[in-house]
Amino acid sequence: MLARIGHDLYWLGRHMVRAEHTARMLDGLFHSDLQARPEDPESVTLSWDSMLVIMGVDVPQTGQPGPARRGDVAARLTLDEETPSSILSCVAVAREGARTLRDTISAEMWEAVNTFHLDLQGRDLSAGLRTGPYSIYSYVKERCGLFWGLTSRTMLKDEARAFLIAGGRIESADMVLRMLRVALPPIREGHEEEAPRRDGNALALLHAVGGFQAFMRSAATPPNADPVARFLIFERSFPDSVAASAESLHDALVNGDANWRESEPILRLARLTADLEFRARAGREALIPAFRLFQHELELVDSEIDERYFSGVVQGAAA
Amino acid sequence: MESGSRIGPEYATAGDGALSGAFAPAAGFYDEVFEAPGRPRPHAAALVEALDRIGRQRLAAVGERRDAIFVQQGITFDATGTDDPVVDRPFPLDLIPRIIPASEWTSIKRGLAQRLRALNRFIEDVYHDREIVQDGVVPWELIVTRPAFERTAHRIRPPGGVWCHVSGCDLVRGADGGWKVLEDNVRTPSGISYVLENRIAMTRLLPELFAGYRVRPVNDYPQVLLAALRAVAPAVNPTVVVWTPGPANSAYFEHAFLARQMGVELVEASDLVVHDATCYMRTTDGLAQVDAIYRRLDDAFIDPLAFRPDSLLGVPGLMRCYRTGNVALANAVGTGVADDKAVYHYVPEMIQYYLGEQPILENVKTYMLDDPEQREYVFANIERLVVKPTGESGGKGVFIGPTATEEQHEAQIDLVKIAPERWIAQETVALSTVPTVGGDGTLAPRHVDLRPFAVFGDDIKIVPCGLSRVALREGSMIVNSSQGGGSKDTWILEEDGTGEGFPVTDDVYNPPTMPGMRQAGWAEQQRQQQQERSA
Repeated sequence: MLARIGHDLYWLGRHMVRAEHTARMLDGLFHSDLQARPEDPESVTLSWDSMLVIMGVDVPQTGQPGPARRGDVAARLTLDEETPSSILSCVAVAREGARTLRDTISAEMWEAVNTFHLDLQGRDLSAGLRTGPYSIYSYVKERCGLFWGLTSRTMLKDEARAFLIAGGRIESADMVLRMLRVALPPIREGHEEEAPRRDGNALALLHAVGGFQAFMRSAATPPNADPVARFLIFERSFPDSVAASAESLHDALVNGDANWRESEPILRLARLTADLEFRARAGREALIPAFRLFQHELELVDSEIDERYFSGVVQGAAA
Repeated sequence: MESGSRIGPEYATAGDGALSGAFAPAAGFYDEVFEAPGRPRPHAAALVEALDRIGRQRLAAVGERRDAIFVQQGITFDATGTDDPVVDRPFPLDLIPRIIPASEWTSIKRGLAQRLRALNRFIEDVYHDREIVQDGVVPWELIVTRPAFERTAHRIRPPGGVWCHVSGCDLVRGADGGWKVLEDNVRTPSGISYVLENRIAMTRLLPELFAGYRVRPVNDYPQVLLAALRAVAPAVNPTVVVWTPGPANSAYFEHAFLARQMGVELVEASDLVVHDATCYMRTTDGLAQVDAIYRRLDDAFIDPLAFRPDSLLGVPGLMRCYRTGNVALANAVGTGVADDKAVYHYVPEMIQYYLGEQPILENVKTYMLDDPEQREYVFANIERLVVKPTGESGGKGVFIGPTATEEQHEAQIDLVKIAPERWIAQETVALSTVPTVGGDGTLAPRHVDLRPFAVFGDDIKIVPCGLSRVALREGSMIVNSSQGGGSKDTWILEEDGTGEGFPVTDDVYNPPTMPGMRQAGWAEQQRQQQQERSA
């Protein structure tokens, strides 16, 4: 397979997952933000500022002091063409990528991405955001679900698919880690009173990744910060946990690489999944410092994937 | 008007002020939104302003969307009305929320906790030493003749001494705006699922109404319930289940909803089995012990060996298992004696007797029909009273004097004479009204009640929410959903709400910009071309 094709598939996967995660996050945040703090335990949900931080977007200089406004943030991350991580931009880039992959992906997949893009362009998203953001986000979730469903039904299980899946999985792991690190910062020494607030954030976070029901079914504990963090990192039976994503990423790359035993990203991932498994058994110590390590490892995996599989493309473009 | 234009061109046609201006509060009743025509109460001003901005047409359109969403999500119920039973009707959520300011809620909450504590003591007493009977506060004949009094529960002490783990009292507001208790429900009060679903639907359908309010979230009820069930279960790491009579039950949606939200199994009788006074459920891994059961069926059906032998919904031997303390049942067996409508009359006295406190929430004036003097009074004034059968729930058999004909008055009197102890009479309460949206998007006053939900585990917790049921027919005061009533999202406001978020961004971690595609060659060109086209 051409390196360029592999590269585009990888990014098609990343952008589709990014759009979906962003929609879920915004939807969850929007719902909890309309309401006040829960009475018991007293806690606060994720703020709109933290949403911008998660997405690595600069907080706009509106001239007004105080926290970011809901409308501004939602608009920025949903329909702003200038913000590369907005849902609209992600889908536009995904569609442009899919155009060059029409011989590789199935026609139905292409159509799913194409109609998704055209429909978003044709909608009055800013009016939708004002009157009912839920309809926009549920539409985005639906179309992303359709895309991955068609992938599993209609695309050949070849190396092309391996790169598409790999892109989706690494994006998902990265997004979940970003959210965890922003929403559940370590408790600073002397600030133990922040613990209940972290618990409130944890519940909002579960809703924002669409994992509330899965958590309730798998864990016999209330959704507090520590069990939620462990669930989102280690619970391999939850498809969007870091451990599950890392494992599927590993498996996808093995399928896409004829000499996978020599592949650095695959070796690194094997080590990471084993490490996750060990830490899951180790009990509750030092969970939060581990976030940083996992994320760093994933960054290295990402750059090694670039190097090993797409290096010609990236260098060619730089030249 | 600047704010009006922001809504968008398609809604600009709705006349400003049309909605609230055209609303006329019903005379003689307490309207919770308007203190006078066109003049909203202070806490409702922001709501009225938002409604006027939205306008009639859009309200009507949102109503259609709501029905479609409810049917799609399967949030329906079956009305077992006498004339035309309907199946799978979308639960009628009215689009205008009902607002309860924090200070009012605080007194409701304290009043309910007090009442519940007294009721719980009463049940404990009735099945043990009967001190309240010996001290002559409540007559023993009254208690033993209640259909929900269970001799089988005698001398059983449920874990923690908690009998009514889950309860929902019906409150009403009279013409003076004061809150009164109309009914206690300590068997299987339903409606909490609608409270949660209503809130989700409202944030999706009309998010702009929330602007300017800090509304307490409602979604922690399932966690509170689960914690209470775990607290009363006789095991360290207990298995909790929700027991439903089956999919044919009218509240099946709620049973499934609670099981899903708590992440526990929803079981039917055939899934449960008792061996050696231990309760198990049948799983793919064989039998698994069950420690706490949130049961949504009446005492009479839970065990054919102990109660009705013809019950097909029960688990044989469950009562034996319960008696040995191997399983916790919520609510406990026999709690029904406390929500009997004749026992209701004595609740204020129970509060004084057990707690030595003055009741915070009053009862509605009630007449006991087995008392000859009161009976005569009721017969003479039947045209302005409400007559209720004591053992029923869900508004079944309720007779409303003011709306009945003279013939019906006579018929009801004859009915009462056959078995006076099975009936009570109450003064009619002029239920408060809240503006409600009609099919064409206009507002009209409709009567409401309120059912807050309390959970009793380690302690009594009253979740800041309530089911506001609304009579959708003009002038009607019957709010039961099985009799054509609807509901409203109920907002309990947060006191001193500042609206400030928790500063999670404190220089702890700032992730880098999201990685983008490194390859900037032709793909970037394409993107640029595409942007030129759209520009």
